[in-house]
Amino acid sequence: MLSTLDTDLRRTALSADEVLAIRRRRRWSMLAVVAALTVMVVWSIDVTVIEDTDWERMGSVASVLESAGRFMGVDWALFPDLVKPAIETFMIACLGTLLGVIICIPAAWFGAMNITPFKPLTYPLARLMMTLSRSIHEIVWALFFVAVVGLGAMAGIFALAVRSVGFIAKMSAEAIEDINPGPVEAIRAVGGNGFQVLRYAILPQVLPQILGVIVFEWEINIRRSAILGLVGAGGLGLVFFRQMNTFNFPGVTTVIIAILGIILVGEVVSYFARKAVI
Amino acid sequence: MPILEVRDLCARYTRSGPEILKDISFDVEADDFFAIIGPSGAGKSTLIRCINRLVAARSGSITFDGRSVTSLPARELRSLRRDIGMIFQEFNLIDRMSVMDNVLSGRLGYTGNLRTLFRAFPRTDVQRALEMLHRVGLEEHVDKRADELSGGQRQRVGIARALMQGPKLLLLDEPTSALDPKISREVMGLIKNMAQEFAVPCLCNIHDVNLAMEFCNKMIGLQDGVKMFDGPTAEMDQAKLDEIYAMEVL
Amino acid sequence: MKAANPVEADRAALPRDLHWQRYKYPESLYSYGAWIVVLSFLAFSVEYLSIPLERIPAMFERMAAVIASRYYPPDIEYVMDRDYLDYVVQTIQMAYLGALFGLLLSVPLGWFGSFNMTPSRRFVYPVARLFTMGFRAVHEMIWAILFVSILGFGMLPGVLALTFFCAGFAGKLFAEEIEAINMGPVEAMRAAGANLFQTMVFGVFPQVRVAFTGIGIYTWDVAFRAATVVGFVGAGGMGWYLKRAVLQIETERVAAIILSIVILVLISEVLSAFARDRVMRMK
Ligand SMILES: Nc1ncnc2c1ncn2[C@@H]1O[C@H](COP(=O)(O)OP(=O)(O)O)[C@@H](O)[C@H]1O
Ligand SMILES: [Mg+2]
Repeated sequence: MLSTLDTDLRRTALSADEVLAIRRRRRWSMLAVVAALTVMVVWSIDVTVIEDTDWERMGSVASVLESAGRFMGVDWALFPDLVKPAIETFMIACLGTLLGVIICIPAAWFGAMNITPFKPLTYPLARLMMTLSRSIHEIVWALFFVAVVGLGAMAGIFALAVRSVGFIAKMSAEAIEDINPGPVEAIRAVGGNGFQVLRYAILPQVLPQILGVIVFEWEINIRRSAILGLVGAGGLGLVFFRQMNTFNFPGVTTVIIAILGIILVGEVVSYFARKAVI
Repeated sequence: MPILEVRDLCARYTRSGPEILKDISFDVEADDFFAIIGPSGAGKSTLIRCINRLVAARSGSITFDGRSVTSLPARELRSLRRDIGMIFQEFNLIDRMSVMDNVLSGRLGYTGNLRTLFRAFPRTDVQRALEMLHRVGLEEHVDKRADELSGGQRQRVGIARALMQGPKLLLLDEPTSALDPKISREVMGLIKNMAQEFAVPCLCNIHDVNLAMEFCNKMIGLQDGVKMFDGPTAEMDQAKLDEIYAMEVL
Repeated sequence: MKAANPVEADRAALPRDLHWQRYKYPESLYSYGAWIVVLSFLAFSVEYLSIPLERIPAMFERMAAVIASRYYPPDIEYVMDRDYLDYVVQTIQMAYLGALFGLLLSVPLGWFGSFNMTPSRRFVYPVARLFTMGFRAVHEMIWAILFVSILGFGMLPGVLALTFFCAGFAGKLFAEEIEAINMGPVEAMRAAGANLFQTMVFGVFPQVRVAFTGIGIYTWDVAFRAATVVGFVGAGGMGWYLKRAVLQIETERVAAIILSIVILVLISEVLSAFARDRVMRMK
């Protein structure tokens, strides 16, 4: 803001009074925004926190701390039971990402302005797909797929795939729109067809970027797949809720540690994958 | 019969936009090294892109090797483009692929989609690519990535790629403008030699008049989309040049 | 490099035996190996999770049938209800507070967790990084469940879950943004004898202001999307309706709720895209 003010000054050579007037106006509008924000905060706090909370059930600070304290400790006995679900969670994330990438190919192709086959139809279609995929939470997608394909890993894979299409396709389409058109022209000039242009001129340019996005989404999918058990889509989430429902709070902590463990594995793998891509 | 006949060519990029080329006509003979000179923005690149229809001409006719360029359906257009090699100012190589793959990409017009997918070119193509790379002096860089090369080397890859097609005409769009003067001369010399050896006529955009005078036997001068001069290089003189480049001085 | 005219000169020198292979001895082996490992892991996963591949084609038919028979038509009246709209407003408030508190928390996290500006690389940096990573690593639904179990049902646990989630989300992006600044102004400030806080305010903040605003808007998007579902585990907002409709197998209501979520998210995205655009132009 200061810099724009400076240029204003230089351009029009205002008097000191006018400068102060501008500043005052700025300050007023700033103040108005802050005031509006504050009112909203106060109102929201009033509604969400003060009115809506069951203060009696929560009790004193001490009892809150006590109920938080129940989560201290680790249920070592649970670990053997976590191995299979942890592997499942990891695999659901991998397969979900893979399927997402496959669905992504047409979505990115249709959704990139410069290569979309029939702009008035395919472009909006792809954009709609992307937005729909991103705006629905993975839990909702999982609910839907559980209803369609039944309980189990398959529903989780589909949910993750559909959920990740939006982001991967959006980033890929943007990468495709940003390519250097020179090589495209060169491949056309040697007599290449559309597929050859895609394979030789477009793909090599965007591949590193897209792989980076895929690895990024895969990491997020590991995180997501750990909660899909909530709606019956398999993996660690199921164990988590079982511990919660049986009030085995150290067990809950154990499951969270296991989740952090596979996320760490994911981070390590993605670190090396990124290095390999570049 | 000339290999390339251009008659009354007009072109514009958008329907309502300005006319970029205005009634251009000229012939390229089978043994020509033909220059198009003119200030930048005159429409040289547009003209050369009309020849292989990277830009669609609006009216007029282009006849290459007895075929009418302006009215070909897509499949035949591709087989026409196969016969016309093109070398670009900015090289237009595929940066992340190896020099070998870049040179092989010159054969894409003859390659099926499955082979394209796996970059599996026939042995004869690989053999030919190696020969080309040897000719342009890059045999030691076969497996390097294209973006690891210097400007001059990159343009040599471009030359090898264009000649891989076995073209009947070479289009050169300011092939040396991105290079420094010494390398420019080397690259032009290389192009000229290769063109002579393979008996390919060249149609070449040049901004630098001295290079055009040195390497080309015929030239046309463009100014703002209008042909100002057409004839053997020897007939070009300072007065005509001044006229063609008049706009640029302003 | 060869001389200008290699053609004539090298004619004779052209090696008889030109040879080239795409396969290169150790390098290609490594990359093929990596492919084989990844692909066989994926195939093994399909096996391990006992995915019935042969049933997939039939599934698409089933999917269409399920949507047509059960989820259509969505029960629009249900989501036009006064109570439901109240919950929508609450969801917005929850997302707003969560994003706001999360952003407030993420500014120090981002600062302390940026390698170039952290007050102490030995101690503060790793702690800040650890917190950011911990906040991020745990899914917002898990935060919501934990807070519900500690604080009881209601919007407070929802707000806290969103706060943690947003703090991790924005903290990481903030730190990356600070690490990418031009250090020139910072050094100038330091040379002029400014303390750490002054350096931050005058040297760093002007450089990241626009990016931070953009990230803030983005965080709101993410928070709102999450807020629509944390109610599923009892943390307030419209997610609760979703849960109830799912449990009662009122699929047409589920469809209507999902539709309302999509529309709200779309509206929020359009608004924030507009806001981001304005911010970028201010730059
Ligand atoms: N893709 C394009 N779309 C619209 N106008 C263009 C395009 N490319 C070039 N032009 C315009 O066409 C004119 C001629 O350009 P060009 O053929 O590149 O000239 P030269 O190669 O002689 O420098 C210029 O005025 C330029 O602005
Ligand atoms: Mg040009």
